[in-house]
Amino acid sequence: MGRRVNVIGVGMVKFQKPGASEEYNVMASKAARDALADAGVAYEDVEQAYAGYVYGDSTCGQRAVYEVGLTGIPVFNVNNNCSTGSSALMLARQAVEGGLAECVLVVGFEQMEKGALQAKWNDRTNPLDKHVGVMNDAQGVNQAPFAAQMFGGAGREYRWRYGTKKETFGRISWKARQHANRNPYALFGDTLTLDEIMAAPEVFDPLTRYQCCPPTCGAAAAVLCSDDYAKRKGIANPVYIAGQAMATDFASSFSDSMMKMVGYDMSRAAADKVYAQSGLGPKDVQVVELHDCFTANELITYEALGLCGEGEAEKFIEAGDNSFGGRYVVNPSGGLLSKGHPLGATGLAQCTELVWQLRGQCDKRQVPDARVALQHNLGLGGACVVTMYRRD
Amino acid sequence: MADELRFDGRVAIVTGAGNGLGRSHALLFAKRGAKVVVNDLGGAHTGGGRSSAAADAVVAEIRAGGGEAVANYDSVEDGAAIVQSALDAFGRVDIVVNNAGILRDVSFAKMSPEDWDLIYRVHVLGAYRVTAAAWPHLRDQKYGRVIFTSSAAGIYGNFGQANYAMAKLGLVGFSNTLAIEGKKANVLVNTIAPIAGSRMTETVLPKELLENLKPEFVSPLVAWLAHESNSETGGLFEVGGGFMGKLRWERSKGATFRLGRAWGPEQVRERWGEVTGFDAAEHPASINESMAPIMANVEAGPSKGGNEFIDVDLALGYEFPKFETHYDERDLALYALGVGAGRKPLDPTDLSYLYELGESFQALPTYAVVPVVNGILDAGRKGERGPGMNFGLDRILHGEQYTELLRPLPTKQTLTHRTRVKAIYDKGKGAVVINETKSYDEDGDLLAINEVSTFVRGAGGWGGDRGPSVELNVPPQRAPDAVIEERTGEDQALLYRLSGDWNPLHADPGFAGAFGYAKPILHGLCSFGFSGRHVLEAFCGGDGRRFKSIKVRFADTVFPGETLVTEMWKESDTRVVFRTKVKERDKVVISNAAVEFYTEVPSKQPKAKPAAASAPAAASAPAKVTSAAVFEAIGGYLAAHPEIAAKVATVYLFKLTNPASSWTLDLKLNKVGAGETAKPECTLELTDADFMAMTEGKANAMKLFTSGALKIAGNVMASQKLDFLTKVDRKAVESAAAAAPAKAPEAAPAAGAASSPAKAPAIFEALAAKFAAHPALAGEWGVLAQFDVASPEGHWVVDGTVTPATVTAGRNAAATSRLALSDDDLASLAAGTGDARKMFQHGALRVDGDVSVAHRLHLLKK
Repeated sequence: MGRRVNVIGVGMVKFQKPGASEEYNVMASKAARDALADAGVAYEDVEQAYAGYVYGDSTCGQRAVYEVGLTGIPVFNVNNNCSTGSSALMLARQAVEGGLAECVLVVGFEQMEKGALQAKWNDRTNPLDKHVGVMNDAQGVNQAPFAAQMFGGAGREYRWRYGTKKETFGRISWKARQHANRNPYALFGDTLTLDEIMAAPEVFDPLTRYQCCPPTCGAAAAVLCSDDYAKRKGIANPVYIAGQAMATDFASSFSDSMMKMVGYDMSRAAADKVYAQSGLGPKDVQVVELHDCFTANELITYEALGLCGEGEAEKFIEAGDNSFGGRYVVNPSGGLLSKGHPLGATGLAQCTELVWQLRGQCDKRQVPDARVALQHNLGLGGACVVTMYRRD
Repeated sequence: MADELRFDGRVAIVTGAGNGLGRSHALLFAKRGAKVVVNDLGGAHTGGGRSSAAADAVVAEIRAGGGEAVANYDSVEDGAAIVQSALDAFGRVDIVVNNAGILRDVSFAKMSPEDWDLIYRVHVLGAYRVTAAAWPHLRDQKYGRVIFTSSAAGIYGNFGQANYAMAKLGLVGFSNTLAIEGKKANVLVNTIAPIAGSRMTETVLPKELLENLKPEFVSPLVAWLAHESNSETGGLFEVGGGFMGKLRWERSKGATFRLGRAWGPEQVRERWGEVTGFDAAEHPASINESMAPIMANVEAGPSKGGNEFIDVDLALGYEFPKFETHYDERDLALYALGVGAGRKPLDPTDLSYLYELGESFQALPTYAVVPVVNGILDAGRKGERGPGMNFGLDRILHGEQYTELLRPLPTKQTLTHRTRVKAIYDKGKGAVVINETKSYDEDGDLLAINEVSTFVRGAGGWGGDRGPSVELNVPPQRAPDAVIEERTGEDQALLYRLSGDWNPLHADPGFAGAFGYAKPILHGLCSFGFSGRHVLEAFCGGDGRRFKSIKVRFADTVFPGETLVTEMWKESDTRVVFRTKVKERDKVVISNAAVEFYTEVPSKQPKAKPAAASAPAAASAPAKVTSAAVFEAIGGYLAAHPEIAAKVATVYLFKLTNPASSWTLDLKLNKVGAGETAKPECTLELTDADFMAMTEGKANAMKLFTSGALKIAGNVMASQKLDFLTKVDRKAVESAAAAAPAKAPEAAPAAGAASSPAKAPAIFEALAAKFAAHPALAGEWGVLAQFDVASPEGHWVVDGTVTPATVTAGRNAAATSRLALSDDDLASLAAGTGDARKMFQHGALRVDGDVSVAHRLHLLKK
């Protein structure tokens, strides 16, 4: 196995709605500077940089880090749909783990447009065409936003199988708002009642508007380094990566199940690998940031990650086992639903939150006694990255 | 040194820097490139007098070495003036070392108020004043390093230093909080507890020791903590004589007293070892970590009670690890022999449980309990116990058994069992623990539910819930409707135990004797199997496929060779109450027992079928309006709204059928015309009528997709952008139709009559009749459900909470399930052609509340 990789610095900007944010290069360079300052590392020490974003012309990554420094280092631009941020993180980890670099910077950012996600390139094969085909076969296609149809369809499949109440999905949004209310970086700081969530306009049964993550602008960054480097810098007891794995689609994604089409098996496979790598299981985890692009995905992901047994998500939610005082705190940051979902930044914002949690820096939303943290970042198309963090 | 730690460009304030530790810190900072404010009041080490000499000497020494420094002679109580010196001389401040201090050592008995106040003012108030003045500058520039100077005297206490110890530990708390508040602004705050030879210690420590405790052995730690590459914050370090180490808090694992249980000083004394034992110590590093065990106990809520045998808090709701079992025809036949089948080997009923090649081979339904009880016994043999259940198999008796099947047992299967502790009752002397096991088949579908109720001898009496006390399944006063008498074999227990219950009590005479029995006894579940078989024989002609459930109480022991008499009373078509006696002793051995039946053999939900063809959308286009007119109107609309083409930018080809025509919508060139294009990006194939319905908003793409009425080739995603079709003004369509009727192909006759009468009333009427004829179906339906039927609209309430179930027109706010679907889809469900699961996934069937009722829509069938 390779070397241990430490996350010694993290930073992010407050997430904003489209139109209200600064430009991507400003947001990204701020996040990068914060992460460097947090690590106590000068940009001159950074040997490589990985930049994740989905929307924008080529080499936005360079444009962003050039505002922090011009030292001629390699800069890689990473694009992997909604799991872009953690894909960049994984490449950076590999560089350090494999001994190719001592200290690397990862930055993720996104300057999104208003409205639901749409395809940008209509003159060529859409990379999601096979996924849409599965949906077309399973439930047809209508005018609702595609992502909502896909994840909402997974929710329908789950409801049919386990008899889940619609309100159970709404409770996830309720919890997300409660958490985001304590996170100054979140887009939606206001709490909502379950009634308000359920009474909101329906986007795609069973999802109401408040159960869909909003288009968001933002940036987040992390500094990764080797043990040797951390030691040289006198950094004691840093957060480190105890396991990390990516899974892409299996044949099962293209069978007849909406849950599998949206990545249930990818999530489970990546999580299983991480548990095997780290020698730790779900029971060892105290805090989780998972990919709640829609409430339905959070619900099925509880089971994919093994936080609860199959068919037990409703009980898990009703018992409050996804929040403070329960078995786990899931998405203390407010998650994608309430903190917001700037595609390229999300993976690193999750990382930032978990590093803060493990260091005990999360103030009102601090998870007590957080020692092991789990991150789940999923992109349709598809890629799922699961990462386990630990602090001794 | 290549990686020498430098302080170039940094400005450091060191208080009390005229002598000792402060002087050493200042010299080291200056040597490494920092600009230093050398603060010293120049007083005595006990607090009197003042002079500029000490500070001046250090400044001179720094400058002589080529460094930059200014002197400051203010008291630390004038902290703002010291910080102002740094700003005046160097324009900034980066590092603050709170070092100044004095001593007023005196035993507490003799300590004057002045001794106390002076120490407080110099150490605590002084450190506060200097740090408070520097703080906004450090925060604003997002960089700062602050070091406080504490002492072992404060951490551990020291004779004669009550005042000094108070001040020094006060600084630790002060520093810990600043570390938290400064973290985000990159202001890091640490505390050292140094020991060094100085004016302050020369009276306390022997001279030889003092010489080896040079201040220069402390300053390197201070410099490292103050360096920009250091990330430590909130630390406390002991340092001196070449040693340095970090301190942290340690807390014993402690004792937790569950809320709601009585405890007092005696219990604290009993558990004093836990309170003070550091075997499993923790190291809380924050308030949150400090609070964790407290919050955990508070949030765990009030205790449900228990004793040394059962801790209800831990046990209730516990889910055992799931386990798998497998059985096949041989296991079923062996079980059937074990419960007395096969005495009449030529009888078709007996044979149907035993001969796997026979056409009517079936599992005895009571077999469903066997794998579950075997699982419990296996766990017991391995000594596996759930949390809070501290008793062995020797203490338990099988008190009651409930077994339910959702459909007949397959003749071979691998089952997955999930068990949880469903209830725990305090029966006074003993306790009752009810474990519920759900068994799932190979498809993961629930097949059987078992509730094993065990009586735990001597484990009650904690004053907990006594549980329900109603006597269920009491036989009526009249004579039984059926009685079956059957003698068990002398070898019955030996035969039954081969199905898995290995307990020696049923085989070993010596073992049975030790328990006070004259000979090995028959398994309770063996008599249970006999009785279940008797009920099937009396009321179902031995056919077990309609079996739904059996519930019994084990009242007394049976010995192999005794005669069982099962007395049965038919309560309804679906329910038989029974009891079983031992004839020879006239003792009731199974009481409070009943068997329930389904009215028809239940079967599994059919697997998903291909999309059911739902009725095509009705096209009720006004006369003369044709697809040609629509396309013409679309062309006009798009020309008037060029922004649509710019946004959609896709070339569509519509291939309409019946009558056939082709149309190209080129939204790249913004042209609409008849005929095919060579390079369509998205081709849509549908009937003329469906196309018309779509443009009128009467049919949506989803529904057409579902039914297969719309086929899409090429870019499927592009079909999402067709909503502009519905925005075309109908008047424009009509005028286009009126202007150019000759160009238009004949409109197809409307497919499907738009005015077809509602089918729902007849369906619900039939359902009502079905329920009236089969009262047992009420139980199967089970819920109060409201149907909201659309096109045409209608509302019905189907109530399965009463027997027989009722069907009424209208709404009921108390409904726990609300189902919404179209009249057509309801009809297809009633006809058995529609698939409820598919409709639900498509959104054609919507369910609020309890979804499970949608699994039972097959009841709508006639």
